[in-house]
Amino acid sequence: MVKRLRHAMGTTALNMHERMDGLLYALVHPQKPMVTTRVLDLVHFDQVPGGQNASIAVMSYSGYDIEDAIVLNRGSLDRGFGRCMVFRKHQAPIRKYPNGTQDKIVGKVRASEFPRGEDDPRWPRYKALDEDGICRVGARLDPGTIMVNKHSPASTSGSGPVSSDFASTPLSYKAPAESYVDKVVLTANENEDYLIKILLRQTRRPEVGDKFSSRHGQKGVCGIIVPQEDMPFADSGICPDLIMNPHGFPSRMTVGKMVELVAGKAGVLHGHQAYGTAFGEEHGSADRVHLCCQALVERGYSYVGKDMLTSGTGGEPLMNYIFAGPVFYQKLKHMVMDKMHARARGPRAVLTRQPTEGRSRDGGLRLGEMERDCLIGYGASALIMERLMISSDAFTANVCQGCGLLGYSGWCQNCRSPEKMADIRLPYACKLLFQELQSMNIVPRLKLQDF
Amino acid sequence: MADPVNGAAVGDEMEEEQDNPTGGVTYLCGDCGSDNLIKAKDPIQCRQCGYRIMYKKRTKRLIQFEAR
Repeated sequence: MVKRLRHAMGTTALNMHERMDGLLYALVHPQKPMVTTRVLDLVHFDQVPGGQNASIAVMSYSGYDIEDAIVLNRGSLDRGFGRCMVFRKHQAPIRKYPNGTQDKIVGKVRASEFPRGEDDPRWPRYKALDEDGICRVGARLDPGTIMVNKHSPASTSGSGPVSSDFASTPLSYKAPAESYVDKVVLTANENEDYLIKILLRQTRRPEVGDKFSSRHGQKGVCGIIVPQEDMPFADSGICPDLIMNPHGFPSRMTVGKMVELVAGKAGVLHGHQAYGTAFGEEHGSADRVHLCCQALVERGYSYVGKDMLTSGTGGEPLMNYIFAGPVFYQKLKHMVMDKMHARARGPRAVLTRQPTEGRSRDGGLRLGEMERDCLIGYGASALIMERLMISSDAFTANVCQGCGLLGYSGWCQNCRSPEKMADIRLPYACKLLFQELQSMNIVPRLKLQDF
Repeated sequence: MADPVNGAAVGDEMEEEQDNPTGGVTYLCGDCGSDNLIKAKDPIQCRQCGYRIMYKKRTKRLIQFEAR
């Protein structure tokens, strides 16, 4: 639970919006939980809440809820369930260099400076800039927009005559979705350099693939978002915010979640916050399950917390009673928007000429050893060639068939002869290996054969 | 950057709600909260209290949000 709490978003501190954190996730409408515990009371969780009371139904729905996936109600999302803000700080230092030069910020760029005015394709990048060359507070930033129009001197070292050339080194916005400028701060750092800090805000509503969790370690990603009219509903008109698959219960034995549901439901019906602490002694203050169940009966609900629901799609009553009630759900900060990644062409590493690694470098998706083993098992040699060489780091090398060493184009420096040279295609990393072996006094010789 | 446009177009300043005709932008002091007009080459420092953290004011331009 502690681990999930750390990944949950909510209120980090009461001054969270005064701060300039590097990355801050905040829930738009946090709520205090309907079921509290002694520890939560001690830390005053009511004042720094980190989640929302979702009305859940424990049932199967649509097949998009297998393997812990959850079904979300679109109506609830429209009303603000799980909506969050992501604040990200960007900064641009204005450096002073040893040769007396300094970065400069070039002020307002106007559409009229471009040949085609507002229709010019280069103009939108400068759209957010103000008179001072820094983005306006409140401005919308689309991907590629410049936040600080910084120019750096061309030569920054040495002394003597300093050239007045400047190169554009802007701080620009890169992300899959747009942001708004929340705050702009001008300040100085330890070395008396000026520093421009920009806080960007993004408001996100939950989407398929976002991760949620109850307080019992019952995490799950959103598998589908269903319109409210298709969700099941009770006679009273109550419709769940979230549907959870019952298969999450048996093997995990999270009895606490069921207790929270029953206690929360009883608390809601009687208008008080339930007390779900583990220390439920006879004399203690904790709510006890059998008392909660009696409280449910007092309000005309089933003793076991199950309700009669009607199908939202078919209109007929569901053939089972559904365990439904409020459970405190947290949104975890693993969101698809921060993780999605795809690449067709892109940057390559300098040394090996293979595609770079990782999302931050727009890297490729690795076909690993085990995948390669599978392809070998199938004998899919053409596919192996394509994945491991053609789509990666194919290279045409000149090989001397006389000595078996790599040569230049049409010349073997080892044999001092242009005869017997042949072109072969091989991975650049393979050629690199040969050369590294040579540098260690090991001579790999290639024997070529017609194929 | 882009080439300046031929004489005719330069004159029209269509979208400007110029903060200040002399250039420069007003910032809020992080300590005393007073307005400070800072121009390109000015030091970043409050004229009233000498504090060196300045906040930029929110734009007066219309901003549209997609409410969804």
